[in-house]
Amino acid sequence: MNRLLFWTTVSIGGLLVLAFVALSLMAGGPKDAIEMVRFALPHMRLGTLKVGDRAPDARLVALDGTTRFHLRERINDRTGGRPLVLVFGSFT
Amino acid sequence: MQIFNDYKDHVDFLTIYIREAHPTDEWQMKANEKDKDDVCYAQPKTLDQRIVIANDFTQRFKFPLPFGVDEMNNAANDAYAAWPERLYIIDESGRISYKGGNGPFKYDPKEVRAWLAQHYGEVKHAQTAPEKKS
Repeated sequence: MNRLLFWTTVSIGGLLVLAFVALSLMAGGPKDAIEMVRFALPHMRLGTLKVGDRAPDARLVALDGTTRFHLRERINDRTGGRPLVLVFGSFT
Repeated sequence: MQIFNDYKDHVDFLTIYIREAHPTDEWQMKANEKDKDDVCYAQPKTLDQRIVIANDFTQRFKFPLPFGVDEMNNAANDAYAAWPERLYIIDESGRISYKGGNGPFKYDPKEVRAWLAQHYGEVKHAQTAPEKKS
């Protein structure tokens, strides 16, 4: 029983170390791996939208900081039947 | 940006600025540090801070695409599961026609170009700037 517990612990520990090494390689280093788990993974989602779904609306702010507009306005009113490419991102 | 230049006569574009991916107070990337690309911003806590960063971005790169900033409730980001970067195409009837993967690993402008080429034919104007994530 003690031997089973020992090897189970060693196996789980080994897998965790391997996972951490793989994550470090992917993220750029051990510090990056920790920060990726802490700051990135909680915000990363696949989402439930599917091709064919109606595009959700959201209120946005223009670069002047005061003008508000709805995404839906750009889909229907402004485009006049043209498709709309949405590019989500940030600076950093 | 090259895709925008090539297809702006056929489709509309809208860039939506969402929460930062690599701010100084979270997971900062070495490439963003002052001696490199010098993109050092903390995660915005207010809409004004988001607006400042968005304006710095558009001015620094003379970014030509129409631009909107997600409000602090992250409504657009949540609705489209967009963080840290993602591409969508909404067709003429207001439905999702293309849903890209989450960046950086599954962010692929080539898929958008392929969709556009399929609908409007191959368009390739003279390149005005090195093609980046756009």
